[in-house]
Order: sequence, then structure tokens, then C-alpha cells
Amino acid sequence: MKTSMSCNVTHVRHIAAFLAEYASLLAGCGATCIRTEKNTRRLADAFGVGFDLSIMPAHVYVSVWDEDPSDSRIAVRKITNHGISFNINAKLSRLSWEVADNHIDFATTVDRFTAICKTKPTCKWEVLILTSLANASFCRLFGGDVISMLIVFISTLAGYRLKQVMLEDKRDVRLTFLCASFFSAALSAGGHIFDIGATPEIAVSTSVLYLIPGVPYINAVSDMIDRHYLCAFSRFFDAAILTVCLSAGLCAGLLILGLKWF
Amino acid sequence: MCNDILINFFEDGLFAAIAAIGFSSISNTPHHAYLTCAIIAAAGHSLRYALTLPELGSFHIIPASTVASFAIGLLAVLLSSRIKCPAEVCFFPALLPMIPGMYAYRTIEALLSCLYNTQEEVFGHYFYLLTYNGLTCAFIILGMVIGATIPVFLFKKISFTVTR
Repeated sequence: MKTSMSCNVTHVRHIAAFLAEYASLLAGCGATCIRTEKNTRRLADAFGVGFDLSIMPAHVYVSVWDEDPSDSRIAVRKITNHGISFNINAKLSRLSWEVADNHIDFATTVDRFTAICKTKPTCKWEVLILTSLANASFCRLFGGDVISMLIVFISTLAGYRLKQVMLEDKRDVRLTFLCASFFSAALSAGGHIFDIGATPEIAVSTSVLYLIPGVPYINAVSDMIDRHYLCAFSRFFDAAILTVCLSAGLCAGLLILGLKWF
Repeated sequence: MCNDILINFFEDGLFAAIAAIGFSSISNTPHHAYLTCAIIAAAGHSLRYALTLPELGSFHIIPASTVASFAIGLLAVLLSSRIKCPAEVCFFPALLPMIPGMYAYRTIEALLSCLYNTQEEVFGHYFYLLTYNGLTCAFIILGMVIGATIPVFLFKKISFTVTR
């Protein structure tokens, strides 16, 4: 009887630890609070345990119990600083449904989760080229001519590569945004200084748009609608600070080059 | 003239689609979702372009962006089940081409001009430009994000079962 109870307690503890890891990775790869909560609860229901989750800006707290909520096991994990990955987000969501619908056992679930953790990010060269093309398209959408598109393509290519190198070197993300924005703005200002093309100001203004942290802004509103005000506030300020950094880089680039409209 | 509108309409959609694919890659979106993101972005951006045309309603850019974003959110919720990915995966890259970059840039330009010009009249002019562009930019972004997020909450059942 005693052995069976201790077995059960260990099992509940393992489930709590796993659910905390799951929620931490899901929140870290850019999922909203409502998705993190729903997916994790789905897993807990499938494992047949009672469950509660608290999502804070930097940590997740998971409480799991077998029958008596007063005898719960608590696991706390720091939210994984993984970077936005919709691929992992989709895979983790799918895993939760597979467990719920196909009644996959706990050990297999953990194995699948470990495999998802090893998901490789999109090839960095592919991202570099596609992002540069995307920013050049931005330039066109804002009324830029073909020359301005080419300038934006080159300045984004250089700025984004700098961002990749600095993040690989584990530099501070705010400093990275500032440097990449400065670099892109300075390169794109070439169009204005050497009088190339008919829309040099559009080239300058669109050259830093690839740095705008869109996912945190959108997630902040989603969290706000779902009344996760702390997370919404935290995400919004994280994004706002990055926006200030990229604006500062842009201003520094323009001021140092002394563009004539100032 | 009708031809010009049509060409601009499709050109707008094409460049929005390319931009959406690029921004999908930054967020590590699954490759099979790229095409859906591109279609949603093209539809949303072209809709905004159409709404702002004098011949088709002449909407102000703020409500036009909000309506287009709502359409993006709606399409994302409906199409996400086809690619078995959460709706956010589709609507984020589709929203980015609508970011009011020129307004944001003019806000910063006006801010710097304020700092450089101490004469009251000139300072007042740049301060007006700063607040006008800043407020327009902020409200476009707010309208976009709220417009795109509402369908996810309106159709909660579909939104949270698409990966099933």
C-alpha cells in the first residue's frame, strides 16, 4: 500500500515536472498565454491528474495533484529563452492533441517532447535572403522605386547578417538591435547622400523594418484580451524597448551621416 | 484607369505575399505554411488598398487597416486547419506588410527636427507633425492587432483545435 502510494507520488511529481517543461518551452517559443494554458491543461487531463498553471513574465508555476488538491506537487521553470518558433509551437500543440485523442502513455509523450526540443531552426541563409527580399518588398509597398528596393535589399542583408552574428556570439539583444539598425540605416542612407534613385527617404525608412518585434506586440494584445495583464504588460514593454533601440540606431545613423532634411 | 487600379491591386498583393514569406522565415514558421501566409497577406493588403481608394469607399487608413486585419484574422482561423498550424502562425507574417513604416519614420524625423529647431513657430510645426504621425502610427498598429486577434477569440473552438 505504502509502495503504491510512493509510486503514485513520484509519478505525479514527474508529470508536474514535464508539464512545467512543456509550458515553459511553449511560452518561450512565442505562444500566447491562452494557448499555453489550454495545451498544458489538455495534457494534464489526458494524464488523469488535477492541474493548475500560473504564467508569469519570466516563469511558469505548475501545480499537479492526484486526488486531493491539498496534496499537490509544484514545479517551477524559467520560461525558455528560445526565440520565436512557430514550428515548435505547432508541433507542441499537435503533441497535446495526440496525447488527448490517442491516449499516448507518459514515457512516449516525454520522448516525443524531447524530439520536438531538438527541432532545428530554419536555415540561417534562407532566412537572410527571404528577409532581405521581404524588406525590399516593403519598400515597394511604401512607394519606393526599383533602385530603392535594391538599396533596401543590400542594407537588410548586411544588417540582418550582423544581427545573426551578434546573437550567435550571445550579445545583448538590445545592443544587437541598436547596432543592426544603425548599420542598415547608414547603408541605406547612401541612396540619399549619393542621390541614387527617386525615393531615397523611403529606402531609409524601410531599411530597419525587419527589426520590428511584431510577435510580442500581437501576443501582448492577445494576453490583454484574455486578462493576462502582467504578461501582456511585460511583452509590450519588451517589444517597446526593442523598438526604442532600433529607433535610436536609425536616428544615430541619420545624425552621424548628417542627412540634409535635418 | 480601371486597368491601373487592377494592376496596383495585384502588385500590392504580390509584394505583400513576398514580404509575408520573408517574415514567416524569421519566426521559424513550418515551410508548408508559407503559401497560406502569402495568400492571407496578399488578400489583406489588397483589401486595405481597395478600401482606401476614392472609387471604393475612400476609407481613412486607420479603419481600413482594422477591417483588413479582421479579414486577415478570419482567413487565418479558417485556413489554419488546412495546414494544421495555430492561427497566429498565419496571421502574424500576413500582418507585418501593413505596418505603418512611413508614419513611424516621419514621427522620428519630426522628433529630431523638434530637437534641432528652437524657434517657437518652427518647433510647433514639427511638434504637430510628430503628434500627427505618431498618433496615426499608434492607432493603425492598435487597430491592426485588435482586428486580427478578435477572430481568434470569436471562434475559440476552431482556433484551438486546428492542430488536432
